[in-house]
Amino acid sequence: MKHLYKYAVTAVFAIGTLAVNAQDLAHKIPSDALIVVTLKGDNLTQLMSVKEFNNTFAGQEITKKLAESAKSNFKTVEDFGFNLSSTFYYYNRGNDSVSYNCVLAPLKNVNQFDQLFKGAEKSFTQNGKVRTFYSRDSTEVVLWNEEMVLFTKSDGKESYFSRPDVSKRLGLPAPFVPAAATDTALTTTAVADSTLVMTEPEPVIQEPVLPRKTIKRKSQKAVIKNRKRHPVKRKPAKKKIIKTEELQPEEYMTDSTAYATADSIPYHEAVDTALANSYIRNEKIKKAETARWTKNMISGYFEKSNQPSILNNKDFTKSIDQKAEVTVWISNADKLMNTYVPGSYLKGINILNGYGSANIKLYLEKSAIRMRSEITFSNEMAAVFRKLNKRKLNRKFFNYINEDKLIGYMGYAMDSKAYLEEYPKLMSQMYGAVYKDEVTLATDLFSLLLDEEAVSKVIKGDGLFIFNGLSQKDNTYQTYEYNEQNFETKAVTKTKKETLPDFLLMISTEDTRLINKLIAYGVKKNAVKEQQNYYELAVSKSPMALYFTIRDGIIFLGTNADEMKQIANHQYQASISGKHKKMLASSNFAAYFSAKKLAGKIPAEETGNSDKLAKTNKLLSSLGDIYIKSDPINGNVFSGEVSMDIPAQQQNALKYLFSIIDDTRK
Amino acid sequence: MPKKHFRYLVLLLTLCFFSSCFQVIEEINLADNGAGTVNLTVNLSASKTRVASIMLLDSINGYKVPSKQTIQKEMDEVVAYLKNSHGISNVKKKVDFENYIASISFAFENVSNINNINQHVLKKLKVNAINNSSYTYNTVNHTFQRNYTHTKEAVTQYNKLKPEVKNVFKEATYTSIYRFEKPIMNYTNPLAKVSKTKKAILLNTGILGLINGKTNLTNKIILSP
Repeated sequence: MKHLYKYAVTAVFAIGTLAVNAQDLAHKIPSDALIVVTLKGDNLTQLMSVKEFNNTFAGQEITKKLAESAKSNFKTVEDFGFNLSSTFYYYNRGNDSVSYNCVLAPLKNVNQFDQLFKGAEKSFTQNGKVRTFYSRDSTEVVLWNEEMVLFTKSDGKESYFSRPDVSKRLGLPAPFVPAAATDTALTTTAVADSTLVMTEPEPVIQEPVLPRKTIKRKSQKAVIKNRKRHPVKRKPAKKKIIKTEELQPEEYMTDSTAYATADSIPYHEAVDTALANSYIRNEKIKKAETARWTKNMISGYFEKSNQPSILNNKDFTKSIDQKAEVTVWISNADKLMNTYVPGSYLKGINILNGYGSANIKLYLEKSAIRMRSEITFSNEMAAVFRKLNKRKLNRKFFNYINEDKLIGYMGYAMDSKAYLEEYPKLMSQMYGAVYKDEVTLATDLFSLLLDEEAVSKVIKGDGLFIFNGLSQKDNTYQTYEYNEQNFETKAVTKTKKETLPDFLLMISTEDTRLINKLIAYGVKKNAVKEQQNYYELAVSKSPMALYFTIRDGIIFLGTNADEMKQIANHQYQASISGKHKKMLASSNFAAYFSAKKLAGKIPAEETGNSDKLAKTNKLLSSLGDIYIKSDPINGNVFSGEVSMDIPAQQQNALKYLFSIIDDTRK
Repeated sequence: MPKKHFRYLVLLLTLCFFSSCFQVIEEINLADNGAGTVNLTVNLSASKTRVASIMLLDSINGYKVPSKQTIQKEMDEVVAYLKNSHGISNVKKKVDFENYIASISFAFENVSNINNINQHVLKKLKVNAINNSSYTYNTVNHTFQRNYTHTKEAVTQYNKLKPEVKNVFKEATYTSIYRFEKPIMNYTNPLAKVSKTKKAILLNTGILGLINGKTNLTNKIILSP
């Protein structure tokens, strides 16, 4: 029975995979892709028909722009030849030398797609059914047949080209470093210094390393011509450079006109031009190399059928959710970081050590927009997070929440003892590779000085911030008035309203001895004013009044004196729905914000004029409630979700998003 | 030195970050013989809550917030400079950290003594847009003249600011008051207003207009003989 179940699951999975292979282009994505973005055209066209999309502002703009560039009379987005009800992909591949950004899109009508190029007078080659278009430097390539199109943009990596062995092999002179006005700069041909150019013409002339052939063949004439008019000493020096240069392949030669111009303009400008030309030449070499790799990468792209694809990656296939409109999959956060952030920046520090694959999914639903994200941790990291997340939010906080009044909240629960114990390990993981001795010393000292247990009793690690809106406070200020008689100045005091946030913060505590001592000290020093069972922070320059108290194992800090009084005297009337209770109790991190509730509460003074205020209120009223929450860690996977309800009158989330764009245009 | 100008401008912003903001008041009392007194005031009182919270910080938006001590020191430098200036006497300063008002007053022997001084003091008080002025008083034909030239530098520096920082200048005002012993017969600046006694003239304008060059402070005031 157990086996039967396994076979059934395998069969379903295999059929599912075959179906994916047959219907979409994922099997064309190489297995080593670092990032894959999936856009489900069929889901989107179900939510909004192409006809409806064409009538939106964005639809009209896209059609207009593409029709203009293709110089064609396209009327709808369907006219570009794409199969809009299929799946589109973006993926990125990269290694230490190059990064490929690719878009893979399904085609419905190849003739219409051909027309995009023909209309724009961009010539492409056709070999059988495969068409290829190369950009001027061949680092951008479009490859298509009757079923699909691949757009590729390649970027060669500077860190690779600047490696001495690579630089030497490709004949790249060292990059110009204008600040390096050193003796070394004078003795080598590698570094140029523009400051030096102005004062020491002789040695500087040697700096720009120009291809021998280029100079001889293309600028010699100009040099001779120039000599007649300006018999300056720099000419022999320029010859000197030629001797020191390496011969370069013909294909990398720079533009002859640029050199001719360089010699007919003032001396320092000529040198600058030479530097610029040398830079252009370097770029050409790099682009040519990148183009060669790109050509190799796309060679036989459509024909290859038995290549390992991303569908062989279980983590990728697991991340696919047919219901998600957009999915971003990252193969490995740590690897991605190391591939794209040069080692010279990180200096061996491994910030994302322990972070594995990740994905973000966007769901456009009937009543909400949801974005779910997941990240996989290494066993060690997951163990750390499990310990940190052991603590849940103090349920006593619920006794001090008034849902009718609040506009938003943010709750966070973390085991402070576990955090203090694990923090040294995390630091060691990140910095250990480079600063092993220092990190060991620092973390030992950290553990020695802190009594984790004692600290965790004072601040347990969970807290809830409640945003109750904005309140206005009268504030006096001094200004001047001038009498009509002789404009004599008189200082007068006026009053104006200032808008301040109204909030309540709750933090769990167990051991209040230290805090009580601090309060007693504050009272003695007149920094704290004792009220009826609560305190007021007497900071004269504080922009807002702050009150606090300790009750029920909770430290309360807030801006509302009445509220604090009620809390301190056990008179607070709480009101919280099961929905919010559940959200706060089940997550280590939970946040909520109701833009609607904020509408109408922003004072006119803050926006400047009534029109602006009306617009702001309209926008706030149109936004749904926003929720953010983390899920309990599952195995090694940590996940969370951000969602926003959409207004009831909207048919679905996609139409709602387009309606917001359309509204902002009005 | 544009860089230096920018630093001054930035320091002003650290004192006064969001909207509403500040007043600059320049008062000159001029006697018939060309001597007189000057009172320069920068008033941030309308934004004192925000200034107070900013002063609690070390830096905001990348700009260093000057401490009370730094402000006092700068004011002391202004006083020292004035005391050593030719024709200047009776120098007084006042800094009110309760309301964030700073003022400096002094007496001069001749109005030409203040030409460079006002520029220097306004710079120290971190007000840059209005420091391109010169003052003359002709005792023979009783004509007081303020020549003002707009500097493009002010616009350039202003344009470099972040939008939220630009808000600082939206409601900032500049007021100049000149008082004379004799009645004003004629004046050239249409923005100015003469008092009932006709012995004082006031010009009140937004600082933004001075930054973008739309407002001109030049005024030729002819007094009765």
